Amino acid sequence: MQEGGPELPASFSPPENVPFFPQSAYQCGPAALATVLVHSGANSDPETLVDQVWIPGRRGSLQLELLAATRRAGRIPWVLPEDPAAIWQELGAGNPVLVLQDLGIGPFRRWHYAVVVDYDPDGDRVILRSGTRKAQRERLSLFQRSWSRGGNWGVVVHRPGELPASAEPAGYVRTLTGAGEVMPAAALAPAWAAAAERWPEDFLVLFGAANAALERGDLAPAEYWYRRLLALGEEPALVHNNLANLLLARNCPAEALRHAHAAADALVPGTPWREAVERTRARAEAAMGASLAADCPPAPAPDG
Amino acid sequence: MLNLRAAIWGLACACLLGIGVPRHAVAEVIGTGEFLAMAERDAQIAVVEAALARTEVQSQLERLGVGIDQALERVAALSQAELAALAGNIEEMPAGSGALAVIGVVFLVLVILEVVGVIDVFKGI
Repeated sequence: MQEGGPELPASFSPPENVPFFPQSAYQCGPAALATVLVHSGANSDPETLVDQVWIPGRRGSLQLELLAATRRAGRIPWVLPEDPAAIWQELGAGNPVLVLQDLGIGPFRRWHYAVVVDYDPDGDRVILRSGTRKAQRERLSLFQRSWSRGGNWGVVVHRPGELPASAEPAGYVRTLTGAGEVMPAAALAPAWAAAAERWPEDFLVLFGAANAALERGDLAPAEYWYRRLLALGEEPALVHNNLANLLLARNCPAEALRHAHAAADALVPGTPWREAVERTRARAEAAMGASLAADCPPAPAPDG
Repeated sequence: MLNLRAAIWGLACACLLGIGVPRHAVAEVIGTGEFLAMAERDAQIAVVEAALARTEVQSQLERLGVGIDQALERVAALSQAELAALAGNIEEMPAGSGALAVIGVVFLVLVILEVVGVIDVFKGI
C-alpha cells in the first residue's frame, strides 16, 4: 500500500475468475449485474437481465431494480455502508463490487454501472470491468470522484449463508427482512443462521432469525433463539409474546400462557404491541381450556 | 346451478389461497419488519423533539401561539409518511456551528407548523 492509497485490509485477496460481459449500447446495468451474479455462482447473463432491469425510455437501469433482480436470481444484495473502507474490505475478501459512477463532466451527468475487481498499488489504479473493457485501469482519485458523484453507491451479491465482509448487524437484518418479502423463506434460512452465528448477542439479529424460523414453521431453531433472547433481556415483551405463539404451535399451552402473561407484564407503555399481546394471551387461555396436554420440555439447540 | 358452481369455484380458490399462507404467520406474532418500523419512527420523533427542544425554536413557536406540548402531541399523531418528511426536512437543514442561523430557525418553525397542520404556508409554492 502506498502513500495516499486506499485503506486496504491487512489480508487483501481480490476476487478471482470474475466473468466479463461486454455491454451492448447503454446496457451497462445488465452487464454489470450479470458479472457479479455469475461470480456468485448464480445462473445469469445480460440478455436475461435486460428484461428485468433495463428501461428503454431512460436508456438505463435503476438501482432498486438491480437489487430486485438480484433477489430474483436467488442472491442477497448488500448495499455497502457509507464507510469509505467498505469497498476495499469487500474487494479484499474476494467480492467484486458493482458501483454506480457518474462519468459526466461539470453539470452534465452520465450514469454508468461498472464492477470493481481489483486495486493495483503500482500506479494507484482501480481495475474495473467497465463497458466493453475487460480490465479498465482508472486512477484511484478519478475513480473516487466519479463514484462519489454517484453517491458512493456500491453493492455486492452473495448466496444465502455467506456474509459480506462489510456487513453490520442492523443493516444486515434490514437487508434480510427486505429480501424475505420476495425470496422464499426456505432459501433465506441459511442467511439467518449465518447471521445468528456471526452476531450471537445481537438482539435484532436473533429476533429476526427467530421470527423467520417461526414463520416458516422451523420451530426448533426459533425456540432456541427466543430463549437466547430472553437470556439477553432486551425487549422482553416482544420475545415472550412470540415465544408464547411458538409454544402454542408446539401444543404446550401451559408454558405458552406463562409467557403470554410475562409479555403483558413487560409491555412498555406507549409501544404499539398491546393488541398483539392481548390476542396472544386470549389464544393461550383458550388453548389451556381446550387441551389436556402435559407441558413440554424446551427444544434442544439446533445442530451446528 | 349457477350459484352452486360459483360456490364450488369460491371454495376451490379459497383452498388454493390457503396453500400459500404460512401456517405460523399469525397476527399475534410481532414481526421483525413491524419492530424495525417502530424503531425508525422512534428515531424520527427524536429528531423532531430535538429540534423542538431548541430555545430559539420554542420562543418562535410561542410567539405564534403554539405551545411546545401541543406541538409534541401533534408530532406524535403524524402518519409515518408525514413524520419521515418532517424528520428529513430537519436533517437536511444546514447545521451551522453554534446557533442555527435566524433564517434556519424561521424555516424550521414554518416546517413544523406546516406539518403539524397549524398553518398552510407551502400550499401556494
